[in-house]
Amino acid sequence: MIGAYPSVVVRVVCALLSPFILMFGLYVVAHGHYGPGGGFAGGVFIAVGAILPRLTLPEELAYRLVPPAAGPLAGGVGLLLFLLVGTLPLLVGGSFLDYGAVEIAGLEASRVRYLGILVVEAAVGLAVFGAMVLIVDVLTGKDRP
Amino acid sequence: MIVPLDLVLFLVLIVTAVLALAVKDLLAATALLAAYSLFAALLFAGVLAVDVALVEAALGAGLTGVLFVIAILATTRHSSPRPDARRRWAVLPLIVAFLGLMLFASTGLPDRGDPDAPAQRGVSQTYLADSYADTETPNVVTSLLADYRSMDTLGETMVIVTAALAAALVLIRRVDDPSDRTDDPRDTPGGDADLDRDLGPADEDGYGGRGPR
Repeated sequence: MIGAYPSVVVRVVCALLSPFILMFGLYVVAHGHYGPGGGFAGGVFIAVGAILPRLTLPEELAYRLVPPAAGPLAGGVGLLLFLLVGTLPLLVGGSFLDYGAVEIAGLEASRVRYLGILVVEAAVGLAVFGAMVLIVDVLTGKDRP
Repeated sequence: MIVPLDLVLFLVLIVTAVLALAVKDLLAATALLAAYSLFAALLFAGVLAVDVALVEAALGAGLTGVLFVIAILATTRHSSPRPDARRRWAVLPLIVAFLGLMLFASTGLPDRGDPDAPAQRGVSQTYLADSYADTETPNVVTSLLADYRSMDTLGETMVIVTAALAAALVLIRRVDDPSDRTDDPRDTPGGDADLDRDLGPADEDGYGGRGPR
């Protein structure tokens, strides 16, 4: 807990809101195909859902929800996932980041590109989430698990 | 008389930006910056750039403010007066000249939504026409960001992760940092709280352990 006022109202509102913010973030990541959103905005929303408990709840509770190691881990995994999805078409003869070159039985090339976009958005969301949580953890001095 | 919403938003935007620069209380400046981002997001939404508006509202008005507040809590709340306060006015003509140059250059820009604008005549027509057939994605912004121009997105993601890692490396406090324990090893973790505990027995006179006031 960082706030100067240990206010009950702030704590209750943040504890109630943060799961919904998390869910909205997941929705924004998954809904990037059909509406505004995608990895960047969704990752920020998910990060806010993880950071709000850190600001208002007792420390051990907040760190049990999202441990401090989640920041660098999610950032690295997200970037790695993006690079893996980018190199996958290279292995089957396509060019870098050209998901349509990957042939999956029963799926058209456009559908494969659709799925590629989904994976890339999720990877970007993970990376942004990790970066934001890492910065907040380091700023508050709680960077060691 | 009907005032266009854009003009009102631009006016509020400029006022919040100037106030954020002028105010001495950094917490108020942070709140003004968040308001600035919110109005910028409204402007983006006004020109139908909803994706940008969403990111601006989430990042600029939300998370950046939180980061600034955490930084203020860790440092100080009041901006220190600059020693070169008078010399700053010397750059005013430069700023005015640059503003005039920008305004002059803006007269050569195409109108908003102009179908003959250079941005509308290149590959963007192909993207708009073929996006759904190529990727089954109705939102062209997403298919552009994550498919046609995914190399840019890869670069942006790398920049974000690298920036966060660099910030962590600059700000992290190492356990075995020798500069941390120059004065007294007991003082390093908590600062004032530890100091008060050390002065505990002197608290009998009821003056909070700091001696008579």
